[in-house]
This record gives sequence, C-alpha cells and structure tokens, in this order.
Amino acid sequence: MLETVAQAVINGLLIGGIYALVSIGVTLIFGVVKIVNFAQGEFVMIGMYISYFLATYFGVDPLLSLLVSMPTLFLIGVLVQHFLIRRVLGPNDMPQIFLTFALSLLLLNLALLLFTANYRTVHTSYSDEALHFGGLYIPEAKLIAFVVAMALSGALWAFLHTTDLGKAMRAAAQNRDVATLMGINSNRVFCVAFGAALALAGAAGSLLMPFYSAYPFVGQVFVLMAFVAVVLGTLGNVLGALVASVMMGIAESLGIQFVGADSGLIVVFAMLLLTLAFKPQGLGGGRMR
Amino acid sequence: MTRQRHKSVRDRECVSNPLPSSQHSRRKFLIKAGGALAAGAFGAVPLRGYAADVVNIGGLYPTTGSMAQIGTGCVAAAKLAVDMINEAGGIKSLGGAKLNLIISDVQSDTTVTRTETDRLITGNKLSAIHGCFASALTLIASEVCERAKVPIITGSSSDQLNKGRKFTFTPFARASQFARAQLQMAKLVSDQPKVAVIFENTAFGTSTSNGLKELAPGEGVEIVMFEPYSAGFTDAGPLINKVKASGANALFSVSYLNDLILIVRTVKQVGLNVAINGGSGGFVIPDFYKNVGKLAEGLQGVAHWNHDMSPDCQKVNEAYKKITGDFLFEYAGGLVAQTFMLAEALERAASADPQKVREALSTLDVSSGYAAMAPGGRVKFEPDGKNAYGRPVGVQWQNGDLASVFPKEDARAPLIKS
Repeated sequence: MLETVAQAVINGLLIGGIYALVSIGVTLIFGVVKIVNFAQGEFVMIGMYISYFLATYFGVDPLLSLLVSMPTLFLIGVLVQHFLIRRVLGPNDMPQIFLTFALSLLLLNLALLLFTANYRTVHTSYSDEALHFGGLYIPEAKLIAFVVAMALSGALWAFLHTTDLGKAMRAAAQNRDVATLMGINSNRVFCVAFGAALALAGAAGSLLMPFYSAYPFVGQVFVLMAFVAVVLGTLGNVLGALVASVMMGIAESLGIQFVGADSGLIVVFAMLLLTLAFKPQGLGGGRMR
Repeated sequence: MTRQRHKSVRDRECVSNPLPSSQHSRRKFLIKAGGALAAGAFGAVPLRGYAADVVNIGGLYPTTGSMAQIGTGCVAAAKLAVDMINEAGGIKSLGGAKLNLIISDVQSDTTVTRTETDRLITGNKLSAIHGCFASALTLIASEVCERAKVPIITGSSSDQLNKGRKFTFTPFARASQFARAQLQMAKLVSDQPKVAVIFENTAFGTSTSNGLKELAPGEGVEIVMFEPYSAGFTDAGPLINKVKASGANALFSVSYLNDLILIVRTVKQVGLNVAINGGSGGFVIPDFYKNVGKLAEGLQGVAHWNHDMSPDCQKVNEAYKKITGDFLFEYAGGLVAQTFMLAEALERAASADPQKVREALSTLDVSSGYAAMAPGGRVKFEPDGKNAYGRPVGVQWQNGDLASVFPKEDARAPLIKS
C-alpha cells in the first residue's frame, strides 16, 4: 500500500514538472504583459514538432534539440509580441483574448494541414528505460524532463531577481506607467517576457518528445492543466505556478490511483475549487513575484 | 466513345498535358478533355448511359482528415483488386466487361459521408459500393445505400450493420465475435487467465469492454480489474500502477494509438510481465510498429483479416507490398476479398443492375479463390447480411510482422507467450 502511494507520488511529481514549464510561461506573460495567452499549448506543440523533425531527419536527440527549439520559440515570441500583441494592448481586454485565441486556432489548423493528424513518436535509448529502487521505478525520460524543467524554472527565477532586465520586467509587471517613467522600455521588456515564456513552452515540447507523441492537438492536453495551475498559484506568480503544477500532478496521480482512472481530473478541480473558496487569490496569496 | 469517356474520367490527371500527334488524336484529346472538364464542372462524374462493357463500382473512403492514412491504403488495395479482375478478363458473363472503380472521399466526417454517398449514387450508374473503414461512417453510407437500393459490402465490424438492412453485406467477423476471440487468446497465455481490462471512457471503449465483461464468465476467464480512463491522458504511470496491484497476468487495452503507446512503454518501464492484447483497428496496421518499435514485439491483437492466412492472401500481399512498400493491412486486405466477392456476384447475376447484384450476393457461397480470403475460408451470407462462416483471426507482432496465431486453423506461427 505504502509502495503504491509512493509510486503514485513519484508519477505525479514527474508529470508535474512538465505542467510547470507550460504554466510558468502562461503566468509570466500574464504577470508582465497582462494578457492571457490561449495559444501557449500550440507553442508546446511547435516545440515538439521541432524536436521530432530534428530527431527523425538529422538524428538529433530530443534533449539536444532544446538548443534549437528554445531559441526558435524565443524568436517567435518576440515577433508575436512586437507585431501582434503590442497593437492590441490597451484598456480593453477583448481584442487580446480574440487575438491569442485566433492564434491558437490558426496554429492548430496549420499544423493539421502541414503535418496531418497522425501521431509521431521519437524513440530514444532512454525512452523505455526506468531506474528501479526496491518495488519503485522512475522512468528515465521523465526524470530527465523533470530535472531540466526544474533547472530552467530556477534559471528564470534567478534571471528575474538578479539581472537588471529581470528587475525591469518585474517593475513593468507591478506598474507599467511608473516603470516607463523610470526609463524602462516597456515594449522591449514585454518582448523578452513573451519570448522567455514561449522558450519555456518550446522546452516543454522538446522534453516531452522522448515519451509522448506529437500531434496537432497535443497542446490542448497540457494547456488546460496550465491554466488551472496558473489560477491555483495566483495569476502572475511564477513560484506559485511551479508549486501548483507539481501539486496538481500529484493530485491527479493519486486520484487515478484511488478514485478511478477517469477521475484524475476531478481531484484536480476539487482542489482548485477548495483553494479558491478559502483562498480566493490562490496559493501565492495574491502576490506577484 | 463512351468507353473513352469513362477512361478519361479515370485518367483525369493524365489528360492535362497530352501530345496530339495527328488530327485523329487531337479529336480524341478534345473528347477526353471535354469529358474531364464536364466531370470537373459537375463534381462527381455525372456520366449517364454507361456501355455494357464497363461495370461501375463505387468506393467510399476517407482519403483526407484524421483517417486519411488508412483510407489511402484502402484505395490502393481497391485499385489493385480491380486491376487483378480486369487483367483476368473482367466479368465473363457480361462479355468480359471491365470493372470501373469510382472513388469518393468521405473525409473522415459523417456529414460528408452522407452527401458523398448520395452524390456517388445519383451521379453514376453503380452496380455496388464498398466502404468506408470506420463503422461510424459505414453506418451512414449503408443507410443511404439501403434507400437507393444499391448493395454495399463492408469490412466494418459494428453489429448494428446487420440490423434491419437488406442491401448491406458484412463478410467478416462482427464486433461481438472479436471479444470472444480475445478472451480465448488469454487462455493460450495462461491456464488461469486473470485479465485486467482498461478502456477509454468513450462509446467505443465502453461498448467493447462491456462485451468482454459479459462473455468472460462463459469462457472461464477471470476479470480482476475493469477500469475506464480518460482518453488522451498525459501519463499512463498511475493506471499501470493499478494494473500491477491487481495481480493480472493479461492486459486488454481498448485504446487508440497514442494512449496505447504510453501504456506499452509504461508496462516495460515498470517491468510488469503481462501479455498485452491491443484489440483491433489502429493496433494492426504497419504504422503501429513504426511508432512503437521493438516494444511491439509479442503484443497480441485481433483482426478480421491478415495477410499470411492463406497462399492467396500472401500472393495479394506481395502485389500490394510492391505498390506501397508496406504489408497489406487488415481492412485493405479484406477489401481485396470483397471486390472479388462483388465480381463473383456480378458473374452470377450476369447483369450490372444493382438489385440483381444484391440477389446474387445474398445467395453467394464461395470457398475457394480470392473471394474466399476470409478467416474460416468460406463466405455465405445469412439473411441479415452476416457471413455465416465469419470469424476473427488472432494476431501477434513477431519480428516486425503481424503473424496469425489463433485459431489453429488460421494460425501460421505459434503464439509467443512472454
């Protein structure tokens, strides 16, 4: 029994790391640029296809292709911010919602057109392997993904707290007008924030590729969890999103184990509702960090 | 001239850049191009007044959309079968009339299936139709065919296709028979089969798994776990954790490809020793092995047709392999047999009239040749359109190939137990 619980926690923890990469991206964009990016899942999908094609046609290991997928998506993020998002930033939220939603639909259908609906997998030497400890096992590909995800989250945290640009980003998040008065170029800051968020989505895609199939709708699977994590961990709070993602992964896994395999999400959403009932501003207590 | 017109429709792509060398061939070209233009303008080939030397067969397959890959394979097989029949002299009782295959894309979509079936029937003088791979699409096409009184022959397995229909013929095993075969295969793996059934919580998953649950006690198979899961999960770990705790020695997974890949990988990672039976559909196509790789070795499934069942099947498989590079998969292979059943019926009817073809199909009884390429080796339709001798074949992935392993009569390789 204890072993079963421990295994369920391990499974949840590992998948929680991936949820974290997606949700940190969403929360970063919301915290800094103040828009909800509905297309975040589609950028995960793009990251997956980049890794898939590099692995299939050039034999590049999906983990190495992080070095391609992250910069590529950073660049896409800067372009999207500069040419699309910048033009709809204003007092009214509606154009922003429609813009990112339209972007999501566009990318999804473009992927269907270009890559068809087929599932594509990459097989690496560590895809099917696992480390065994007594009765427990840890899948290698997921362990690597978890470690890299945590390292990237840590790097982002350090960037936001130690570099000038990171501090400028947090300043712009707190009050855009005052930050501009202090000489911060808010468009530049927003471009970097959007790029960084998309780079994380790209990283999530590359890290998923050794153990998950790429297909046009794959982003939808992860983005739902990301939105829940973002709300649970307080909108705009990076650390909150990280903690909430890991918690959700574990809750889902325990739910599948002890409630039913089609009820994992029930546990996750029950957790969300309870949190919102007692702590309406989320686990982060309403602070943006 | 009519014959050329038909040819022009079949070779529509080819006439776009002709080289008319003389006056005569220029006129030919104009006729062809005119036919092609007319066909293009009206959409689905509205050429009436067919000559006795051509018999039109309609084929409804999803060549675009989510099922495109399988649909394209079906079209390749259907063309191969028609070429084989035509090269062997066509329909002799109709003076050597050639079969003319008219393909229509149903786009993996139910609404499109309805309109396309209608268009195919009203726009052409058809003797029969075959299609559509997915049961959901075939059910709709079959409704339209029943109304138009055109016989449809299909490899789809839904039992619903045999209810209250007169023009629908199903020469292969029914969905309900698949479940029984899976349970019997579990008994080959262990004397005391303890089966864990996991299924996606959709109509497909629920109905298939309920069939397994109902039949299990009669077959002497114990079901130790019966668990629905949400399709499209991110992690199979927790689910396989549960399977492990149940103490099962066989695992039936009623899943689509993506979930099944995750399940198979996780079973390997956990180091769980269970015989996995993946059922039918996406599990028995070449793409499954391409996606899963070596992990697929030893995995079991059930199919309504397999390419190694008989020397005839193997012959057709070789021909198909030459065209596409892959082995002839379940549905496409069954489709070749179906085309030969239609040819046999046309031969006996000595008429291209769809009603007469239906009569001939209903009294068909073949046990040799390409038309009898079915597990059981004999095709004779009951009044509800079911083949009285239809049964599924148990298969197993061995060395990158799908080998028939069950029942004994159809087996071409022994079942590997681990």
